[in-house]
Amino acid sequence: MKVLLVEDNEMNRDMLSRRLARNGYEVVMAVDGQQAVTMAASENPDIILMDMSLPVIDGWEATRRVKADPATQKIPVIALTAHAMAEDESKARNAGCDDFDTKPVDIQRLIGKMKALLDGAP
Amino acid sequence: MKRTLSPEEEHAFLRATLDYMQHGVAMYDADHKLVTWNERFVDYLQMPEEFLGTDRTFSDYIRYLGARGEFGEDADIEKELEKRLKVLATSHSFERVRPDGMVMEVRRDPVPGGGFIAIYTDITERKKQELALRKAMEDAESANKVKSSFLANMSHELRTPLNAIIGYSELLAEDAQDRGDKAALGDLEKISAAGKHLLGLINEILDLSKIEAGKMEIYLERVDLQKAIADVKTIVDPMIAKNGNRLVIECPADIGSVRTDITKIKQCLINLLSNAAKFTKQGTILLRLSRDKDDHGVDRVRFDVGDSGIGMTPEQLGRLFQAFTQADSSTTRNFGGTGLGLTITRHFVTMLGGTIDVVSEPGKGTTFSIVLPDREGGEAAPTVADDLGLAPEGVASAITVLIVDDDPAVHDVLSATLGREGYVLLHARDGAEALAIMRKTPPDIVTLDVQMPKVDGWSVLGIMKSEPALENIPVIMLTIVDDRNLGFSLGASEFMTKPIDRNRLTALLRKLAPAKADAVILIVDDDPDVREVVAATVKAAGLTPAQAANGREALGWLASNKAPALILLDLMMPEVDGFEFLEKAREIESLNEVPIVVLTAKDLTETERSILAERTLLVLSKSGQPIGTLGTALSALARRHHDAAHRHDGK
Repeated sequence: MKVLLVEDNEMNRDMLSRRLARNGYEVVMAVDGQQAVTMAASENPDIILMDMSLPVIDGWEATRRVKADPATQKIPVIALTAHAMAEDESKARNAGCDDFDTKPVDIQRLIGKMKALLDGAP
Repeated sequence: MKRTLSPEEEHAFLRATLDYMQHGVAMYDADHKLVTWNERFVDYLQMPEEFLGTDRTFSDYIRYLGARGEFGEDADIEKELEKRLKVLATSHSFERVRPDGMVMEVRRDPVPGGGFIAIYTDITERKKQELALRKAMEDAESANKVKSSFLANMSHELRTPLNAIIGYSELLAEDAQDRGDKAALGDLEKISAAGKHLLGLINEILDLSKIEAGKMEIYLERVDLQKAIADVKTIVDPMIAKNGNRLVIECPADIGSVRTDITKIKQCLINLLSNAAKFTKQGTILLRLSRDKDDHGVDRVRFDVGDSGIGMTPEQLGRLFQAFTQADSSTTRNFGGTGLGLTITRHFVTMLGGTIDVVSEPGKGTTFSIVLPDREGGEAAPTVADDLGLAPEGVASAITVLIVDDDPAVHDVLSATLGREGYVLLHARDGAEALAIMRKTPPDIVTLDVQMPKVDGWSVLGIMKSEPALENIPVIMLTIVDDRNLGFSLGASEFMTKPIDRNRLTALLRKLAPAKADAVILIVDDDPDVREVVAATVKAAGLTPAQAANGREALGWLASNKAPALILLDLMMPEVDGFEFLEKAREIESLNEVPIVVLTAKDLTETERSILAERTLLVLSKSGQPIGTLGTALSALARRHHDAAHRHDGK
């Protein structure tokens, strides 16, 4: 199972990738929104975990582009945002995100959400 | 026994009184000839001895001041004189600033039998104190703003390292678990729990500061309640389990959806449930959802959060929703928390148009109930017109005005004036009721009181601006602005509060006045400092300022000049005040197209507020001035009203 983790903060990226790897996921990483769009197409991940406040293009725009491209639109996207961005849940869903979770990540909860989305996939 | 004074004694007494008093005094006879004066007059006015004499007239005196440049370099002295002569028959006062900075209050009162007396008072100290006070207030306001934006910026900076602490401690805990290292696991879990606790506190403090800064936004959408409750359950389950409690959820399968802000309502429920879990041991915590209707038949969703915990006394209940207060100061020691959760919950519920109540008994437990109205934005309800007893054709052509005010007198005043002019009036006594009516029957225009119990005017405006169906309804704020920053950020532009915000004024000028150098802005204010600040801003915007120290001067100026592009009007002025000016200005035809922006002080009385509400509205509605959305709405309103009147004539 391949996860594309999009996160600009190095520590968050390191932590989450290690914890996902420990739980048996193959993790590829992007550090900005542009790279996320490119890698969604080139890496063909099963699921994308997307931070929303990203450099170059932000997470909302990156999600819109992923969802606009027929080649990548079927990949589920889970938005990850900090609590401060309380209004972001709606914003994220409007951008096309399939689910939403807040940081700091509760790994079991996140994996639960990932599984729910992946079970529904063909 | 009182003895009659001889004329000499009488004279000596008056002379001594004049000479020793703390004011400059000059008296003129019916022919405006200088009769007598005291030393302070000479001193205050810096009059050369040779000028003073009983053959001098008031006109000589004014011409002398004019020649000395007191009215400005290019002043038309004869015009200045004429202006002053015009008002001599009535008592009036104004302020004058001497070139050396001394500020004088000049008062002129007619004397029985003809003539008048001029009294000069040194108010330099008072002015200085006022200025210092105003500056202190401005500093405090800006310090508060700085604090809010500092907190907002800090939020990210605080969270990033905390996320790392929580994340890495959990990572290490997982390693320790794999290794079977129980000692390390326990310690690492403590680090992560403490980190999460700290993060929660930071989040609460930031939420509250955001609410207090008026920056908390509401995003309304259809929320699937079953799904929202499932999300809430996932988050609170670990908290519930901690004290050996059991969570019972009673949620009817057909509970459906509600139009609200999903994040806010979820946070409210999480707050209440985590509180319940904190204060209950080995007990049951109940989350129950139900639907009913309010007195007006509006659908409501009710969330009850009950526990079998320690409960509260009536005294503790009283302090419950106050920020930084827990039911008991020992509570913090025993149970932790900032005591902000409930304050934030109450704010959120209010912003969502709902109410929160609590029932509690010590030792028995506590139940919090949130009730949210469930309405579809923009949905028309034809029954309201029937309720108002209106003929259908009247409804079709009439303009609907929703009056929102907790003061019945305002409703009466507005009903009397607007009702007579054929508007259809809807009445709301508080913000919650106002929102309910608006969502059912969007009015053409809303008049909104700022200070109301429960949901205040700014909250109502904020909620309106966040709902697509309501955001374009023009709003007239009918009262005095408490927090101008909040007011302006929410889009009210027809009032400006003092002290004047220069940037705001510039923006206002750009919006309202044509960008031509010959466009004149008339500034009417008795405070020379305010006039100066405003005039400088007007000049900087490439426009020409004209000044008047009170309503009478303003009317005088208007009589002898072309209509200005805009009038900035203070309310509290000597002689002719702003209210009277508004009244008089209505009768001047050339002013019909001139926008009037009211500069208000903060402390108007209830009566003055209602007068202002009434008159400003009338002035604006009769002349259709283009003040932002208000102007657009009002000119449309005036036009439609005109059409409606013609239709009636045709019958």
